[in-house]
Amino acid sequence: MSTDTFTKRNQKQKQLLIKIGIIAAIIFIFAVIMPLILPVFRLKLLARFLSLSIVALGIDLIWGYTGLLSLGHGIFFALGGYGLAMHLQLQLPEGEIPEFFTLYGVEKLPLFWQPFHSFPITLIAIIVIPGIVAAFLGYLVFRNRIKGVYFSIITQASLLVFFNFFNGQQKLINGTNGLKTDTEKIFGVLAGSDQAQLVFYEVTIVFVILAFLLCKWLTSGRFGRLLIAIRDDETRVRFSGYNPTGFKVLVFAISGAIAGVSGALYTVQSGIITPSFMEVAFSIEMVIWVAVGGRGTLIGAIIGTLLVNFGRSLLSEQFPEVWLFFQGALFLIVVTVLPDGIVGWWQKYAWEKVRSLLKISQPVVTYPRLYDDPEILQEKEDLEQEK
Amino acid sequence: MTDNKILVIEDLTVNFDGFKALNNLNFSMNTGELRVIIGPNGAGKTTFLDVITGKVQPTEGRVLFKGKNLRNIPEYKIARFGIGRKFQTPRIYLNLTVRENLDLVCNRNKNVLETLFKKTSENEARNVAGLLATIGLETKGNLQASFLSHGEKQRLEIGMLVAQSPDLLLVDEPVAGLTDEETENVGNLLLALAESHSIIVIEHDMEFVRQIARQVTVLHQGSVLCEGNMDQIQNDPKVIEVYLGQETSVTPQQLKMLKIAAAIAWSDGYLAPEEEQIILDNFSKRFANNEEQKEQLKEDLKGYLSLTYSWEELVTELENDSEKEFMLQLAYQIIKVNQEENKAYPKLVKLLNLPEEIVKNIET
Repeated sequence: MSTDTFTKRNQKQKQLLIKIGIIAAIIFIFAVIMPLILPVFRLKLLARFLSLSIVALGIDLIWGYTGLLSLGHGIFFALGGYGLAMHLQLQLPEGEIPEFFTLYGVEKLPLFWQPFHSFPITLIAIIVIPGIVAAFLGYLVFRNRIKGVYFSIITQASLLVFFNFFNGQQKLINGTNGLKTDTEKIFGVLAGSDQAQLVFYEVTIVFVILAFLLCKWLTSGRFGRLLIAIRDDETRVRFSGYNPTGFKVLVFAISGAIAGVSGALYTVQSGIITPSFMEVAFSIEMVIWVAVGGRGTLIGAIIGTLLVNFGRSLLSEQFPEVWLFFQGALFLIVVTVLPDGIVGWWQKYAWEKVRSLLKISQPVVTYPRLYDDPEILQEKEDLEQEK
Repeated sequence: MTDNKILVIEDLTVNFDGFKALNNLNFSMNTGELRVIIGPNGAGKTTFLDVITGKVQPTEGRVLFKGKNLRNIPEYKIARFGIGRKFQTPRIYLNLTVRENLDLVCNRNKNVLETLFKKTSENEARNVAGLLATIGLETKGNLQASFLSHGEKQRLEIGMLVAQSPDLLLVDEPVAGLTDEETENVGNLLLALAESHSIIVIEHDMEFVRQIARQVTVLHQGSVLCEGNMDQIQNDPKVIEVYLGQETSVTPQQLKMLKIAAAIAWSDGYLAPEEEQIILDNFSKRFANNEEQKEQLKEDLKGYLSLTYSWEELVTELENDSEKEFMLQLAYQIIKVNQEENKAYPKLVKLLNLPEEIVKNIET
């Protein structure tokens, strides 16, 4: 028995080492090899898609694990983006204000711009402001036990409110024209330069890893199991003595904060942020990435984002008009044929198939009593003797 | 007054858009009691549990748990006070393993931060292991709960209740859809739990109720119809009327006599059609004045004959000799067509304690 558990533990350690090895290799490929082999244009695309995969992780956390389908993550995404863009816009000589203000006759910097002079405060704001907005929105919704489709509708409605507000406020944040980051300087370097972009790319990889680890930590252990419990049967959770509201607010806030980081990284790599980041279609697309990759599998969110976006960029290069049809078809296929997404399908079916083809499948376990219960073993022996 | 009462319910009314699911209900139960609540469909049993657990707010009246008024307290707080509830259909977390299901409920501190940062303590792990043994699922601890059979799910949910370490367990139809063997398992589990908890069980299965019940409350149309031990409940004409679902022309005295007759006819474990005919004929001849009434009475009585009753005590409650003679006559006719009932007849004769010549007279 003791040697048995020992070998089991050994095996587990081995598997863990293999896993860590694979992950390290993937990180190495993305961080070192990709910048060397990919042309600048493709690398830029990859960088943007990787930053989008961060928001997909946030959606997976709130949708895949907690069962709340948010169609309003564009809000948090854009808030993060605007935060960083405002900081970049303020890289000016003392006393000057960003150019667009003069167009609308504004002479003094609005008060809420002031803190964004400081880089550390900007970094904190990118995470904290979307988080607080999400927590506030979440608290109002979850306290009143709104869930399911109604939650989705409310998040979408909030998205529209934010979109219209940002669109209309020329005097505050340049309205529909948005804020450009391309031509601004960060640490004295032009944000649009290749050099800066490469740094952004590496920073993005770091944040993908951090977001992934954060989500992994949240979803394993008791807290993660409670999220699944809330998703599967919230009433039962309540009758077990938990108050689901607090848990949902926290998860929604974390998800919003992750979206904020994603938005900031995406903005500096796209060169501009406009209210179109808060368009309804974009937030729905985020959900599609997660659905394609596989709900409730964090790695699926990243894979789904990269696949769908590269698919889009390839297809729209070849057939510019077809992409939207293709995206619709993709979503239909995933919903009808692969309800667990690509990763879910791999884990449930394909991996088993591969294993059985390679003849390394695990022995099938039947009722443990067949092997443990002395009475049953005795009967088995008797039967064999009779033969 | 409420020192020893774990649960007191006073004048409880729940009004759903004009429909009174509970109507002026009064109920109380002692600490450590195992109480079974029965009642026909729509009697308000589940609403009763909903009110106690805070899912439904009472329109009027109040619920006192350990002397504390539960009005306007959210469900999770009531659960933390020590009320655990099992639902009608097993509600467990299908995507978690059996052990994880129990572990979630076992958690002592259920606020957000403690759940996030605290690991399962050794104490809790031991608790879970003990519970797995109690509900007989040790070998399936690491199995995903969706793979359990219906009976195992029921047991797991009861285990989850206990993991909460509540003082009062509310159990809604724990044996619905179970085989006889599983029903007995669940019954024994509940009896074992009753030694250290107060339990309210709601159940339809009368066989099961008999296995576990000490004290039974009957609900009907949102109020308590009667309360007592199993025998008292089964012999209460109001209860039978509610369960058979009809207005009846039978008086309690007639019912008493009918039950004795039925018990004798049933004493071989089988009610033959001719026995039923004899009983109904005799009764209608004695109690009805015209043909129409006779038919009506026969119809009404027929329903009661499908049950067996304990009759010895009822015999002593017969009021006069005329009734006794009638019973004896009836019993004699029954044993004439069916010798099998012989066992019960001498006992009846003895219990009736009639003068010997009358007995002889009847027997010839």
